[in-house]
Amino acid sequence: MRIPVQINESSAEPLYHQIETQLRSLIVTGQIAEGTLLPSIREFSADLKCSVITIRRVYQDLENEGLLRTRQGTGTFVTKVDTDDREAYKKQIVLEAVRELMDTARSVGYAPDELRQLVDETLREAERK
Amino acid sequence: MEHAVLEWRNVVKKRDRMTLGPVDLKLYENYVTALIGRNGSGKSTLMKLATQLIHPDSGEMAWFGETYSGELPVEVRSRIAYVPENFIAEEDGLKMDEVAEFRASWYPKWDWQRYEELLHRFDVPGGKKLNKLSKGQRRKFEIAVALATRPKLLLLDEPSSGLDPFAWKTMMNEIRRCVDEDGATVLMSTHIVEEVRRMADYLILVEKGRSLGMLEKDSLLDRGREIWIARDDELLEELPAVVESAIESEGMVRFVTLDYAGAAALLEEAGTKPIRVRALELDEMMEHWMNGGISVDTL
Repeated sequence: MRIPVQINESSAEPLYHQIETQLRSLIVTGQIAEGTLLPSIREFSADLKCSVITIRRVYQDLENEGLLRTRQGTGTFVTKVDTDDREAYKKQIVLEAVRELMDTARSVGYAPDELRQLVDETLREAERK
Repeated sequence: MEHAVLEWRNVVKKRDRMTLGPVDLKLYENYVTALIGRNGSGKSTLMKLATQLIHPDSGEMAWFGETYSGELPVEVRSRIAYVPENFIAEEDGLKMDEVAEFRASWYPKWDWQRYEELLHRFDVPGGKKLNKLSKGQRRKFEIAVALATRPKLLLLDEPSSGLDPFAWKTMMNEIRRCVDEDGATVLMSTHIVEEVRRMADYLILVEKGRSLGMLEKDSLLDRGREIWIARDDELLEELPAVVESAIESEGMVRFVTLDYAGAAALLEEAGTKPIRVRALELDEMMEHWMNGGISVDTL
């Protein structure tokens, strides 16, 4: 399978971190289902044009987190993610996006009240649709 | 933990126009290592030493963890396949299958089915004499023959010269299969950045006969960044491994660092948020490495 991970060449983050974050998100949100056989390390690295060392590191980290399991001879599979973890993770993703938003607002000199107002307005507008 | 398929210590070889070495080198099992460097830097000499086409003047060399005094035993040799940059003229008058027969007799793991399959995939017409093949066809034939030996160590000296982009892609896939299925370790010299980007796990850089060491490709890429920040001359002064900097406008400065981890830590500490960060391309990083901007731990 081809995993929809996209490396952002101009990102400040190290390669392995970008890949790991995206793959973790795909697994935890259930976009890659439990039991899915992931590509071999060599295949995945060829797909992303990174080294096998990087992919090995990503698989290893996610295995340590309990999201992946490697069976000798067959490959690396996605394991079951429990519901609490999934909820916590979703919250984490949104929280990070909110922090990013706050940074952006601060960098252009937006006051917290102005930001709050803008978020409220945008939410109401979305609800009306 | 990881086995070295090829390991050199202080290897020196004097050639007519240059001296290679002393070179230390270590190829890890089941990885692809790209050998990069300018023309005439000694890449082909290094390749020939690895196949024992030539012998070193001094230094130690081990294949698959063993050193040998004199010639490599046939059994060891039969685990190594080599595709030279320029092909041997002696075989020119032979037919493709005759050459294949000859290789088959030397390589116990020779796989006829794989050979036929590769010629088909590479789109090389069968039955011809080698000197009747075009330059690209000849290269494809030589690579097919090398892969059909099911090698444990595959040495490729500029494997893509003369190949069209489609053949090139097929070849890259087949080399990758050889790494995956046969557990081969690959050393390939190349000038093509895209080839390094797609294939390599490690890079070895040679410059004027000297090895500048080995780096994992992605760790090389992770080191270099071009960063724009609000102007702060004092901070800029302290940033590590800055190889280029310029004031882009009154309040903004741009710099290139080859120690991004160090620079990022310092920026964070200073509470400076970059305006923009760009990762350097592989070719830019290779150039900085060649120019001595990157230090590599020795083996």
